[in-house]
Amino acid sequence: MKRREFLASAAAAAAAIAISPRLAFSADGAVEVIVGSDQNVADFWSNVVVPALQQELPDLVVNVTVSDGNSGMMALADRALAALKTKSDPQVDVMEAFNPRNTVGAIDAGLWVDFSKASMSNYAKLNTLAIDTNFGLPYRGSQVVLAYDSNKVQTPPKTWEELTAWIKATPGQFIYNRPDKGGSGGNFVRRAIHEANGRDPSAFTASNFSKEKADAMLPPAWEILKDLAPSLYQGGSYTAGNTPSLQLLVSGVVSMVPTWSDQALSGLKSGELPSHIKLAQLQDLAFVGGFAYCTIPTNATNIEAATKLANVLISPAVQEQIVDQIAGFPSIEWSYLSDEIRTANADIIPKSIPAFPDGEWEAAVNDGWYRNVAPAIARN
Amino acid sequence: MGSEGTSTRNLKGLLLIGPPLAVMVCLLLYPAGVSIVQTLQETAADGSVSWSLARYHRFFTDPYSVANYVRTVWTTVVTLILLIAICLPIAIYLHFTRSRLAAVVQALALFPMFVPGIIVAYALIRYIGPNGLLQSLLEVVGFNSYSSPYLTPWGPVIGLVWDHMPLTLLILTAGMAKVSQEAIEAARDVGAGYVVIFHRIILPLMVESLLVVMALNVISLFGSFVIPYMLGPASPEMMGPYMLRTFSEVRQPDFAAAQAVITFLTCSVFGILYVVMLTRKQDV
Repeated sequence: MKRREFLASAAAAAAAIAISPRLAFSADGAVEVIVGSDQNVADFWSNVVVPALQQELPDLVVNVTVSDGNSGMMALADRALAALKTKSDPQVDVMEAFNPRNTVGAIDAGLWVDFSKASMSNYAKLNTLAIDTNFGLPYRGSQVVLAYDSNKVQTPPKTWEELTAWIKATPGQFIYNRPDKGGSGGNFVRRAIHEANGRDPSAFTASNFSKEKADAMLPPAWEILKDLAPSLYQGGSYTAGNTPSLQLLVSGVVSMVPTWSDQALSGLKSGELPSHIKLAQLQDLAFVGGFAYCTIPTNATNIEAATKLANVLISPAVQEQIVDQIAGFPSIEWSYLSDEIRTANADIIPKSIPAFPDGEWEAAVNDGWYRNVAPAIARN
Repeated sequence: MGSEGTSTRNLKGLLLIGPPLAVMVCLLLYPAGVSIVQTLQETAADGSVSWSLARYHRFFTDPYSVANYVRTVWTTVVTLILLIAICLPIAIYLHFTRSRLAAVVQALALFPMFVPGIIVAYALIRYIGPNGLLQSLLEVVGFNSYSSPYLTPWGPVIGLVWDHMPLTLLILTAGMAKVSQEAIEAARDVGAGYVVIFHRIILPLMVESLLVVMALNVISLFGSFVIPYMLGPASPEMMGPYMLRTFSEVRQPDFAAAQAVITFLTCSVFGILYVVMLTRKQDV
């Protein structure tokens, strides 16, 4: 073959691959689990959850894939909803860390399995605090807490008032991340919003958003945060994520940051966070936390195996591993876990986990913070 | 080939460029065109579509968006100036030196090409960040008033200079090949100093390379994302992080598309400049 002909046919072949419709690779009966969290959670599924089910079903094949964060999960749910309407394969069986409320109309359309009616033997063990809807199965929780350097802070603040008084009394020693770049800073901002609205988390629900409401309820929180800004690190800097905040705490630049309980606990366990870093929670109203939910589309190809997987997920054995390996809170009652695990975690067992809705409220918070709080920096 | 007719040859040529062109049209030009058109359309509640510049009007009357745009222009210009100021002397040095040191300098300058941006960002946070290595080193020599550029507008500038050095240097060293040793020696013989040689011989021969450096770097700097996201301040932010945030966090894809079109139009000025440079070269 002449070189030019070869090039021509190679180019044509490449183009044919590029423009032919996407091939379905999941036709072999494998259960497709799409993980909306990070790789550490996907590893947990591959190493703990799936083997636990394979004891019962040794021939089962499960593919665990990490998606591209929440927007990736949203796109996947949209695809599943479209597949429901056209009666085709959604190409996903279990979605990890996805709130079924996020896809508008999907619950009404019957896209998600109702776990309360799925005859799962472990469902009755769930902690009622954790259940948001019957269509999302809570399986691990975490909450934002304060991490502080105990060499510099002897008595951590117990209330929002004490916290803000401490921030102002020790300028430059506190930082939180931009609310859209990670939940630790995001939920610090939400705590300010709760503070500005009578410490009543129930004032914000997924369905009560309106622009007028947001314009009335959010600006007082922006005032609180603007008032704090000059006392933050560098007179009002905000890190770009949960990890950079902890980096500043560990390197001794600041003495206190908000952080996710699971991230801090696993950091302390592995030694990434030195032992003089301690954790505290506000007692007047805790920081927002939440549970990661799993959803199963009703049109999933392997719905039976997927439901079995969900049942194993909330079994006491796997739930203990969630506390032990990824430092999460169990979604079933603590009383089902071993005494050993219960006593070891007595300090962090939450008494309440306030929530804040996603969706339009979240978008309003993200936009409002950038427009009102962030530009208050007077520098360069 | 000689026996083949012109039409067959033309057909083969078309076949050769056809697939990449088709991929470009299907996956790039068509969706981009659709979203550009959509930024100019307004859909009313009854489904009727009308033409409107409202989104662009909103962008340019919104002080927050304009501040982000201005910050992007500022970062691009400052980074570009620093890049040329750093890379042009290195390119000149590499052209006139054949020592082992020159090879080391070249390897060091090209090294950033093989390091992903996100790694650079985290490494720079540790190095130039507060209580980082740089601050510790400066304190050892008695300099105690270091203020970290991390989370200030200079953070992205430092990261972007690092990231864009290899490409700039490659283009400039290639351009320096046109500067002949004989011309320099001849100039020296008639008594020209370094400044005159640079100004009268090197610079005129390098104009084209400098324009290419400008065009390619502006396009890449203006739309940069990871480094300004990780190292820059929360506000004003560069267009890259601002677009993504508007799209995914604020959930206004139509406004994000308008921001993207504005970014694209700004960059396309330099894209056209680059294409003009290329075609002019081929005419010679």
